[in-house]
Amino acid sequence: MAAALPGRAAAMAAGGRRAVYPLFQLGGPQLRIFRPNFFMLAVRPGVPQPEDTVQFRVSMEMTKVDIKNYLEKIYNVPVAAVRTRIQYGANNKRNHKNQRVKKPDYKVAYVQLGKGQTFQFPNLFPEKEQDEEAQSFDEFRKKYLEKEQQIQKGDPRRGGVPDWFGL
Amino acid sequence: MAAAAAMAALSRRLRGALRLAGARPGRAAAGLPGLTPNLFHKNLAKVEPPHQLKFLHTTLSQNGLEEFFDDPKNWGEKTVKSGDAWNIKQLRGKSSEDLHKLWYVLLKEKNMLLTLEQESKRQQKPMPSPERLAKVQKSMKNIDLVVKERETALRLLQTGHEKPVPGEWRNDFLGRTYWYTYKEWPIPWYLNKKYKKRKFFYLPHVNHFIRLRHEKYLRARVRRQNLEKTRQKVLQIKFPHLAVNSQSQ
Repeated sequence: MAAALPGRAAAMAAGGRRAVYPLFQLGGPQLRIFRPNFFMLAVRPGVPQPEDTVQFRVSMEMTKVDIKNYLEKIYNVPVAAVRTRIQYGANNKRNHKNQRVKKPDYKVAYVQLGKGQTFQFPNLFPEKEQDEEAQSFDEFRKKYLEKEQQIQKGDPRRGGVPDWFGL
Repeated sequence: MAAAAAMAALSRRLRGALRLAGARPGRAAAGLPGLTPNLFHKNLAKVEPPHQLKFLHTTLSQNGLEEFFDDPKNWGEKTVKSGDAWNIKQLRGKSSEDLHKLWYVLLKEKNMLLTLEQESKRQQKPMPSPERLAKVQKSMKNIDLVVKERETALRLLQTGHEKPVPGEWRNDFLGRTYWYTYKEWPIPWYLNKKYKKRKFFYLPHVNHFIRLRHEKYLRARVRRQNLEKTRQKVLQIKFPHLAVNSQSQ
């Protein structure tokens, strides 16, 4: 139990329920996908990957075996190999009290698909033709912004003399 | 999500009708005009329930990795319609098997939404209908609650234990009392150096400090109570008419 789940805080962040799994001993079964609260999100790879490789962000508690089981049993995806690493969240930002602010670490998994499958991350935000309402709203917004800018500039007849200077 | 929820609701309704029909075959045709479809009571005698439900697939077809992404029709949309979260009353009426299935449906939905959220952050675009994520998480929390309730009920019946993991009250070396949850260890405790290093007792010289700690706690409590009392008094002096009103009512 303690060995299986290192971080209480990580489990809390994942969804509140802290699953208790039996202690793993060498040769024991690694079945941790019964009603799990493990999340797993596909991300667009920053560095170009081979065609059969998919990049995921996974829960910190997931092991390679878990990832393989998760994809094969829940998503029905053939998995050939899994590699993982932990991405260190930057802590070089400071807040208003000049204290370091840590971004959370996360685990990255590179999954190679089996059976000659390939994967290409799709474009989830394709350009769509705007309907009339959205277009009219955009136009209205543009007009409003122009007007605001005009107000900000002030009266052109004053020749650049600031408002507070005269009547 | 919306489609799955709607299908689940439909299947629930159908199953409810089935159960009713099974219990009272004579009244099913006459008693439920709105709920039961015509086709249903006609061939009630020859068809069994599992057969009936075969054409009803509540889960999405297994598409593999495409399930990490929303329906291609919704790509590029600004808003996506979705139903409400599952509330706890609806979930209490479901069988454990259904809850288990629903958990996986919601898990996939959550993964899909997290993927969408991350991608929208990356593309610096607003996520379409971000409230879906909260709804899914709420539903999952409710499922957890229901499952926990059922587990507790079963455990109380079978073993009489209130807690899922046994434990006991223990002291640490400073005399503070806390709940110690038992754990699984790979080796017995007397071979376990790390466990043996921990002290679950305190020495007599700590008694003095326990007393001091207690004193500190009591002083803080009295101070808090006095502050509250003074605050009430000041308020009564400031607003005497309100005080009278509240007493009279």
